Amino acid sequence: MAQKPRLSDIHQGDSLPSVVKHITQRGINLYAEASGDFNPIHVDETFAAQTPLGGTIAHGMLILAYISEMMTEAFGKSWVEGGKLSVRFKAPARPNDTITTSGKIDSIEHKEGVTYINCSVESCNQKGETVITGGAVVKL
Amino acid sequence: MPPISFDQLAVGYEFPSTSYELSKSVIGKYLEAVGGQKDFLTSGIVPPLAIAAYAMTALSQSFSVPKGAIHAAQELEFLKSVPIGTTISCSGKVVQKVQRGQLYLLVLEINAVNQNKEKVLSGKATVAVPV
Repeated sequence: MAQKPRLSDIHQGDSLPSVVKHITQRGINLYAEASGDFNPIHVDETFAAQTPLGGTIAHGMLILAYISEMMTEAFGKSWVEGGKLSVRFKAPARPNDTITTSGKIDSIEHKEGVTYINCSVESCNQKGETVITGGAVVKL
Repeated sequence: MPPISFDQLAVGYEFPSTSYELSKSVIGKYLEAVGGQKDFLTSGIVPPLAIAAYAMTALSQSFSVPKGAIHAAQELEFLKSVPIGTTISCSGKVVQKVQRGQLYLLVLEINAVNQNKEKVLSGKATVAVPV
């Protein structure tokens, strides 16, 4: 894992390293087994087809893991030891979607000897629809 | 303790504390499922989202989640890195339960501590539950 970044390397407006992932039902099932979350909306295609969603969807925490991957790539241990995340799940991620996670440094604040990096984060599908949107803060 | 029904969940309800070990095999399986981030295994640190994911699963096993419930929002704060092999104890509380049309919005507060009782994660999860 990357060490903490140097403040001199971080600038307002910088883009964060994007993460692109392809969603499959096999991957969703694998996440269900790993996390123990077998909600049928994720893993039962017959049940999910009868709901207003019309089919299975990926776990929100799976897509959120991609945002955390991007933040870890950008900020290393600073993210793991002092990251903060606030997001809304706007649309489902479905099997066969390609999810691109991106982010940007909106501002850098200094308060009482601590530096806070405020970022906007987003995950979109291949149609450009927002799946997750929100903000993240990293303490340096 | 048998899971409490969704109807019985009220604001202020505190879930029984649950413990789970984030062993190397658990984290290996998690990393395989989310793809990438193998650096965590070599550095011996638990990916922060894994702490949250297992805390959410542990809490959700304390009540009967109606079929079709989905995650609507999430707040998380990572307070301390967690070495692989740590046993986490998580607790949770219902902080909001409101009906909006055909959905209930359930907001759960989540806290996780390590075996030294140091808080490693806190957060709030909003779950949309069909009526």
